[in-house]
Amino acid sequence: MVSGFRPPTALPSVDCMIELRELTKRYGDQVAVDGLSVRVQPGVVTGFLGPNGSGKSTTMRMILGLDAPDHGEALIGGVRYPDVDWPLKTVGALLDAGAFHPGRSARAHLAALAASNDIPGSRVKQVLRIVGLSDAATRRAGTYSLGMRQRLGVAVALLGDPGVLLLDEPVNGLDPEGIRWIRDLLRGLAAEGRTVFVSSHLIAEMALTADRLVVIGRGRLLAETTVAELAAGEDSLEDAFFRLTSQATDYRGVGAS
Amino acid sequence: MNGYGFRHAARMERIKLSSVRSTWWLAIAAVVSMAAAGAGVGLGYRSHTPVATAAQILNNSLGGAIVAQLLLGALGVLVVTGEYGTGMIRSTFAAVPRRRIVLAAKVAVCGGAALTVGLVASFAGYLGGQLAIRGTAIPAASLGDPAILRAVVLTGVYLGVTALIGVGIGTIVRHSGAAIGTLFGLMFVPMIVAGLFGESGIQVGRFVPLLMLLNSIAVTSPVPGLFSSWISALLMCGYAAVAILCGAVLLRHRDA
Repeated sequence: MVSGFRPPTALPSVDCMIELRELTKRYGDQVAVDGLSVRVQPGVVTGFLGPNGSGKSTTMRMILGLDAPDHGEALIGGVRYPDVDWPLKTVGALLDAGAFHPGRSARAHLAALAASNDIPGSRVKQVLRIVGLSDAATRRAGTYSLGMRQRLGVAVALLGDPGVLLLDEPVNGLDPEGIRWIRDLLRGLAAEGRTVFVSSHLIAEMALTADRLVVIGRGRLLAETTVAELAAGEDSLEDAFFRLTSQATDYRGVGAS
Repeated sequence: MNGYGFRHAARMERIKLSSVRSTWWLAIAAVVSMAAAGAGVGLGYRSHTPVATAAQILNNSLGGAIVAQLLLGALGVLVVTGEYGTGMIRSTFAAVPRRRIVLAAKVAVCGGAALTVGLVASFAGYLGGQLAIRGTAIPAASLGDPAILRAVVLTGVYLGVTALIGVGIGTIVRHSGAAIGTLFGLMFVPMIVAGLFGESGIQVGRFVPLLMLLNSIAVTSPVPGLFSSWISALLMCGYAAVAILCGAVLLRHRDA
């Protein structure tokens, strides 16, 4: 188990901590993310845990500048994402498995994104081999199975060899072998000193992958803890998770009536 | 090394444009439709009495541009909406978060490609017409004649600019079906409306794209009352600029 912090070795010396400061997003009357302040450290896998609709994906989109926060900010090494010099070399993101054109081959998809950040073409071949898509690289991505789409998304995230990785539900649709592959990959990346922030609604999976946990419900921070701390004093991790998130649900029930 | 710029985004867009089949199909269809229209016109006039003039053949053999403009307009729309519809746009904006650089790259790459295809298509229409009247008494239209060359070149320019209007509308509307519908509507509805006013409709009609194409741009001498072909082509560029600027303003504030 990799639990301690290891300083970055082969990585560029930029600070790759993710810092959220009172991050807030509203959709009409609905508050999707509510004053979220969190620091995600390098060197460990940080699980981002919460029930469906708790604001995980919205938070990740705001970190990447895809959605604009109504209040607060998200910083990568002290810089807002749109101000980063080489975005793909700084943050690798897997937001959803369908973020490609189905008519384009995996190779062309990766080559286009590589060109945008001046990443050499040889890296495309490399990431295709890492995720195991070398043999399917020239096929149109629309013909891929869900598992292969996730692997293509991981290839995009790894393309720029970034110090920060942001993955939204990466194990969705993967078979047990694929889940283990992702788990080993993420732990390896964190062990190299990278910041790995991975969301899930599955506490059992997070218990195996993550060291630290950020738990949210209804867009609010419920706990910033470790897997070990959360498990202590409860029957099971699952019970602890339900205890945390049910309070958020109760709060919302009162507020809405 | 101070970060990505237009050059990188343009390389990305060039790879994206050339790596989907729809680009090639639309480009081929645009050229074929103009060549076929040109040849059809030429064949139709072969046994026509009185003998057709060179201008008659040229004006009509560029008529395939009515179809080609829709195909290249759709190409421009899809360069943007194809990304919103598939989720690709999130990958694009994650790679190049300064969105206006993405839009500028799309305008340059798609505009350049559509201009090239438009010129090839326009020339194919001209050539189709000329080849189909070979061996008849109809006088050949030479590209050495400035009026003929101007009509062929400006028709190609018109087609390229139509794709840019498509890029602008695609950026504003973001949905493929709605954007293509909007583009087609903007091409045809004003023409019908202008037609309702009869003779006085020309005051409005000279601003309408399709009427400019058929009566000013793709003809040897413009119909009286319309702008000269150069002014008409510039007006089209103005429409494209307005559509793209509106898209650029909206692009900045909307969530992707």
